[in-house]
Amino acid sequence: MYTVSEGIIRERFPHRWSSCGSYVLESMPFYHVYPGSQCLAIGTTSCNFRCRYCSNAYIAKEDPEIQQGRLYHLTPRELVGMARKFNCRSIVFNVNEPAVSLPSLLDVAEEAKAAAIPMGCLTNGYTTVESTELLASIFSFFNVSLKGISDSFNRTYIGVESSSPVLRTIRRLAQDRHVEVTTPVVQGANDSEIDTIADLLAEIDPEIPWHVLRLLPEDEMKDAEYPNIQAIDAALQSARKKLPYIYFHNFISSQWVNTLCPDCGCTVIERFSLGCGGDQLKRLFCKDSQCPDCGRKINLMSEQACFKSTQRVLQ
Amino acid sequence: MSIAVVDARGWQNTLDLKTGEKIETTGPVIDMVKGVLQRHPYPGDMDPGSNRWVSDTALDLIDRYGPRFVFLAYAAQYFSGRYTPMTKEARARMISDVFREAERFVSASGFAVIVVGTGDMTPLLGFINLTRLNGLAVCTHWSTRYAGLYEPSQDDMKVLGEHPHVERIIPREEVVGLFNGTPDQASRVPEYLILAREGYAFKTISDAMRMPVMIPSLNFDIPLHAPSHAVGAITGIRQALEKDLLEKNVALIAVEGVGLDEFLWPHLPCRNGMEWYYYEPGEAQYLTIVSGRHRFLDYPTGSGYKYFNGNEGTTRSYPFSGHFKSLPEGTFGSTFPGKSIAVGNKSMFMHMVAGADLSIECFARNLYNQGTMAVIHRQDKL
Repeated sequence: MYTVSEGIIRERFPHRWSSCGSYVLESMPFYHVYPGSQCLAIGTTSCNFRCRYCSNAYIAKEDPEIQQGRLYHLTPRELVGMARKFNCRSIVFNVNEPAVSLPSLLDVAEEAKAAAIPMGCLTNGYTTVESTELLASIFSFFNVSLKGISDSFNRTYIGVESSSPVLRTIRRLAQDRHVEVTTPVVQGANDSEIDTIADLLAEIDPEIPWHVLRLLPEDEMKDAEYPNIQAIDAALQSARKKLPYIYFHNFISSQWVNTLCPDCGCTVIERFSLGCGGDQLKRLFCKDSQCPDCGRKINLMSEQACFKSTQRVLQ
Repeated sequence: MSIAVVDARGWQNTLDLKTGEKIETTGPVIDMVKGVLQRHPYPGDMDPGSNRWVSDTALDLIDRYGPRFVFLAYAAQYFSGRYTPMTKEARARMISDVFREAERFVSASGFAVIVVGTGDMTPLLGFINLTRLNGLAVCTHWSTRYAGLYEPSQDDMKVLGEHPHVERIIPREEVVGLFNGTPDQASRVPEYLILAREGYAFKTISDAMRMPVMIPSLNFDIPLHAPSHAVGAITGIRQALEKDLLEKNVALIAVEGVGLDEFLWPHLPCRNGMEWYYYEPGEAQYLTIVSGRHRFLDYPTGSGYKYFNGNEGTTRSYPFSGHFKSLPEGTFGSTFPGKSIAVGNKSMFMHMVAGADLSIECFARNLYNQGTMAVIHRQDKL
């Protein structure tokens, strides 16, 4: 979060982290980046959205001032050192919105680059063109949360006017970054937009992995009904023809978490879903990002591609 | 094959517990269990109806399965007490409600009971920050007493040795020696185990983001309600259970987050560990209770310390069983010839530690309520 002091925008609590831990990338979720690898997951406090169903409201919505006592105080060097100690292949900003902590993240990125550790993030993508470029300079892989399309949904459930900035961000990042997209489905509110979102993503890049999450009702929606899994699965049928990498999860033992080859349909990556940030790699059949059966290229972020893009921006 | 039936609210899936693979199978026990899951959606870890869910689910299973041994865990007060600031009066009411719930279960089921409190809670006074050591400190966020330490520098040892809230630093050999550990067990014990003083918790990497207001006390002794038994140590509870089961149906009830100070039924103190070690609430404590021998070294994460292996593989067995990677041997349910069930709202480990024919537990991770899971170890007793 920021404050204005003497006409200058400053970060209120630089290098204060609400979370810092070692987890598998699948649990973030990133399904198409270094399968099965550990990442150092970090987060700060606050958000530029006010989602009614926020899973981390005690971090994202609570006054950061009163959270200071429980935060980690770690310098960029210490964070990167921690990633090394825990054999983490990447550093991922999750929990809250990275755009609220850009100066700290720029510092971490510099240190991470020197250590050849790529960074990724979960973002709501609701950023200005300038901020998006800053994010692109920090992170080489993204999971952008496209929560809904219609203005009315965004006003009612997210607290913003429009999804246009998010779509603009996805378009921009998809040009030269690895992008996955996540949409939590709120039954009766944005489930009717599933086909529209699929069309939009397919138009940007049909190879984008799309995580359709069954909403876990939390925060202001704690007493809401759990969305119907069969109904959402049925609603995804036509979308699956447009996007080959659609995943439907965020509930225990989802059977829609494997990656299938878009050409021959063979299973190329198997995963377990423990729901709610607990996904894991089960088996990886791809070799050199190719389908073992037909040789089709699978959209997997490779080591080489990652460092190439990071170097281009951070040099 | 042990079968898991997952109920994610309005959607059920049947799995091979060991592989996590979906399976197509039916049978009278599976159908019965599916019905019980459907009738009893889990209200959430800190919901006022959470402990009632345990009793209601157990009573439903008892009606349909007719077990002789029941293992229950009531944990709502542990989660609420840990994370919700409350007055002494509110806490007393909450504890009283747990015992009322246990009474309701006893009265409705007619089972004799042995009740064990897993230990008192105490206000969190502060953290011992281990994030800036040269070495690597690891700790599960549910544990407050113990943290593991790897490759510490001399400076680390000096800082920790002088820290006012660190009670002791114990080398691996002493930890393993206390429990006569095998070389395999020793390999999973950290180089040092750091012990916190009462009221303090360790801050390490991978802590939960929620701030606790209360943490487990130094529970060297825990309360045991076992009418007509004199049980001196946690490892003696199984014997009392076996004796009672010769004559009557028995329910073993674990009341989480309640210790000698707040236990409302007649009880005696029961030793909850050995020498400097005591069990914090978790898998190892339950396993020790039901197997009648110390299990501190068997399941590192559930024992209060965390085992770090940065090269752990990604493919594993029992993916829906928390930290367990194999079925623990020596559990009470697995050796008891009569019918047995277990129901709990603590975590996804009842089915492993109880070894009961049928288990039903909440599937909640870090307080996020995702539904319930039943595990069927035995179908042949119906």
